[in-house]
Amino acid sequence: MTAAATRTRTASDDAPVSPAVPPEGAPPAPARKRHRAWDEVPRWQIYLPLGIYLVFTLVPFYWILLFAVRPAGSTSLLPWPMTSAHFEKVWTERSFGIFFQNSLLIGVAVLISTTLVALAGGYALARFDFRFKKGFMLALLCSQFVPGALLLVPLFQIFAELRMINSIGSVIIAETVFQLPLSMILISGFIRNVPPSLEEAAWVDGCNRFRAFLIVVLPLLRPGLVAVGSFAFVHAWNHFLFALMFLSSQSKQTIPVGLNTLMGADSVDLGALAAGGVIAAVPVVVVFAFIQKWLVTGFSAGAVKG
Amino acid sequence: MTIFPGRRRAALALALSGVLALTATACGDDGGGAGGEGTEGSGKGKITFWDNNGGVRTDVWKEIIADFEKANPDIDVEYVGIASKEVQSKYDTAIQGGALPDVGGVGAAMLAGIAAQNALEPLDERIQSSALHGKLNAGMVESVKAAGGQDKLFTVPTSASNGVLYYRTDLFRAAGLQEPSTWSAFYAAAEKLTDRDKNRFGYTIRGGAGSIAQALDAMYGQSGIQSFWEGDRTTVNDPKNVAALERYAGLFKKNTPAADVNNDFTKMVAQWDSGEIGMLNHNLGSYQDHVKALGTEKFRGIPNPTLDDGTRVMVSNPVDGLGLFSSSKNKAAAWKFIEFAASHSSNSKWNKSAGAIPANTEAAQDPWLQEAEPTKLAAEVLFSGKATIVQLPYYLPDWNTISKADNEADFQKVLLGSMTAKAFADSLAEQLNEAQAEWKSQKK
Repeated sequence: MTAAATRTRTASDDAPVSPAVPPEGAPPAPARKRHRAWDEVPRWQIYLPLGIYLVFTLVPFYWILLFAVRPAGSTSLLPWPMTSAHFEKVWTERSFGIFFQNSLLIGVAVLISTTLVALAGGYALARFDFRFKKGFMLALLCSQFVPGALLLVPLFQIFAELRMINSIGSVIIAETVFQLPLSMILISGFIRNVPPSLEEAAWVDGCNRFRAFLIVVLPLLRPGLVAVGSFAFVHAWNHFLFALMFLSSQSKQTIPVGLNTLMGADSVDLGALAAGGVIAAVPVVVVFAFIQKWLVTGFSAGAVKG
Repeated sequence: MTIFPGRRRAALALALSGVLALTATACGDDGGGAGGEGTEGSGKGKITFWDNNGGVRTDVWKEIIADFEKANPDIDVEYVGIASKEVQSKYDTAIQGGALPDVGGVGAAMLAGIAAQNALEPLDERIQSSALHGKLNAGMVESVKAAGGQDKLFTVPTSASNGVLYYRTDLFRAAGLQEPSTWSAFYAAAEKLTDRDKNRFGYTIRGGAGSIAQALDAMYGQSGIQSFWEGDRTTVNDPKNVAALERYAGLFKKNTPAADVNNDFTKMVAQWDSGEIGMLNHNLGSYQDHVKALGTEKFRGIPNPTLDDGTRVMVSNPVDGLGLFSSSKNKAAAWKFIEFAASHSSNSKWNKSAGAIPANTEAAQDPWLQEAEPTKLAAEVLFSGKATIVQLPYYLPDWNTISKADNEADFQKVLLGSMTAKAFADSLAEQLNEAQAEWKSQKK
């Protein structure tokens, strides 16, 4: 018996041992052996825990959907008979149509502004050496420890001075500013991952730095841009505090603030609340469904190189 | 190092576009009455109104505002609905940042904190010369005056609620039980209606957010102690109250679902409306939710139980009201709106929608009040003089913190058995005594 076969057995005491014997004289392939041992784990040992986890995760969503589509007063555990009354109510009577537009506007604006500024800042961090760079990086990291609520009153006063209270612009600025540190750190990691020699080759071909960045570096940053952009969008979409405090008019409020108003001091319309929750969740689910592949690549790459 | 050699103009243009884009989405304001002294104004123009229970009461407020604007075509009211859970922080931020509305809904529980920051205009003089004079429930006026903590009227009261014991008539009938009108009957029914194997429970207790006020209602209701203070010391940790709390907390898990430890009113009401639970304590506000879920035949809402000798003691519920903010630049128009909203017709409309007790005495005579049984019974209890209402110290600026964040976790410990009722009551009493002493020293 080869040493490799012995190692395989030793490493997989708890798993079924592969009966396959390597051909005579074949080079040992421990990695392959390990994969094979893993492949031979009974399916149920993989799917049962995953299934339990899935049920645990999906039951609350099912519950929300159930409340959203079943008529008021029904105690059925199945979504039948089905009604769209709760959706109609929140979308029209409770102005969720308007809140949705506002949230979308804020989310897209924050996505664009955060990505653009983070690209510029991240590029500077990755490609230039300047005084106090380490201190600056540390400050960026430390800014993540400051909760938004702590800066609420100063921000409120600044926006009041600028006459931007009750303006969607105030929320876009505040959200962008809070997203930037992490986004810049992530983007700088991605840019560092692109060899400078690629840019230099473009310079030799007559590009200036900006054009070289656009045509050489930017296309390689796609996973990073997707990660940072989606993170900015989802955060802005879900964030409640700034929208609650800086916006007052109903025509400017966002989905999370609207959801909160569905819970009264002494009374709550659970059907409407669930329907509002579904409306709030759909864009996030759709965004993640489309970008899932890039997102995982993006975050892992940024984490390693950051 | 030049980052964009030869491209300064492009960078400048990009920056300028960004600024313009943000300006285009701005078009905001400084929040209306931004800080400083307000003025009477012309009595015309636009005013802003913050509803402290936005969403749930939005429709009825919009109706009242439409009526007001029809009667006062020179005044526009901008309605801002704020969720009740967030209204305190919204007011606090607006006070610090200087962007308050002209008129706002202010419940008695948060009145002292806002009034202490000089954000509200005293309304005593305005009331004297108003059509509302003599038409507001005297008890509610006194209650909001006391809640303000400065012997001044800072809000025009609009409505009151009361502790209600909701019980499932169908389950009581099936078990051969009588109405739980006394605490003895209440505990007996909780026991008899519980069948844990069939997921049936006699009662649902509030163990999460808002648990303290409900526990106090049960404590004073059972002990019969009629005042919150004895001199400068609270009666919360009186041995009778401690014994009452022990008995009440003893219901947990024995006659209630185990999940009740996290019950806020939303969960509590939802599980009562959709399950088989005999009784629920809440206020009048959830009546319409129960009607939607159960219809009017399967439940009743009655005032909290009495002692066996018929003595009824209840703790006060915060009276809701409308405040005029001192920073308003158009106080004349703002006051007109408050007068209109507290008038017979509007006050009746609002309270009918909320199922609450109107502050306007004419509105309290309207026929709808006789048709909504829990509201009718609650109003009778409140105004008959046959019940003792223990006034909770809403005037303490720390009341909200003490009765919520500081002690709700400890109440959960009492339910779970990791803290004794006595230790809980002693700790609560100590905090209250300290807050009372501080408030008194500030008043001097």
